[in-house]
Amino acid sequence: MKIHVYATLKDYFSSEFELNAVARNTDELKLRLLEINDGAKSILDNCRFAIEEGFIDHDHKLKENDTVIIIPPSSGG
Amino acid sequence: MIRSSSSLLPVEVNASLSETLQVISAEPLDVVALLSQAHHPGAGAVVLFSGEVRDSNKGREVACLEYEAYAPLAVKMIHEILAEARKKWGLRLAIAQHRIGRLSIGESAVVVITASAHRREAYEANQHIIHRIKHEVPIWKCEYFTDGGHQWGNNCNC
Repeated sequence: MKIHVYATLKDYFSSEFELNAVARNTDELKLRLLEINDGAKSILDNCRFAIEEGFIDHDHKLKENDTVIIIPPSSGG
Repeated sequence: MIRSSSSLLPVEVNASLSETLQVISAEPLDVVALLSQAHHPGAGAVVLFSGEVRDSNKGREVACLEYEAYAPLAVKMIHEILAEARKKWGLRLAIAQHRIGRLSIGESAVVVITASAHRREAYEANQHIIHRIKHEVPIWKCEYFTDGGHQWGNNCNC
């Protein structure tokens, strides 16, 4: 599974990386990411997740070849 | 061909501006050029908001800002926000453009233009659109301070 992170999450993870662990949904994905860097917990708890052009819910079934976009709270403008 | 009395632009050009404008731009925003295109013969009111880079935040001197976006989703969401606002307030025109990349003090980071028959709708819709862009669209600001530090997002004072 490919992971893309943005903004403040880049202080904790590479902006794009391959996750070689099982994550069937975004809850499991968060746990896998915390195994890499548990300092990102408070940020990950406030993130939204997306695949391509759409947000996904926490129970959306992730596939091995998905590219998951992790979206911290917006701060545009 | 019908022409707008104020801008002398063909109405068709004005009507399609919202569809053709690049809503996420790596190039500096040309606020004056955007305004010059944002006229409509049915609009008696045009409101322009330009969010610009301030030289300080919470007592720290800002050197510059950097914006990044997840563009595929940001573009889609901004178009949806504009379409909803056009419908809700009966706007003649609603456009927005957000800058990405590194910006100097005084540069425009985001422009929202709304046009309607009367001013109330244009003002209200403009505030609504910029509020949603700031809080919902996947665009992030990083402030670089003159003391060498930097800070991502979470610094909205509105």
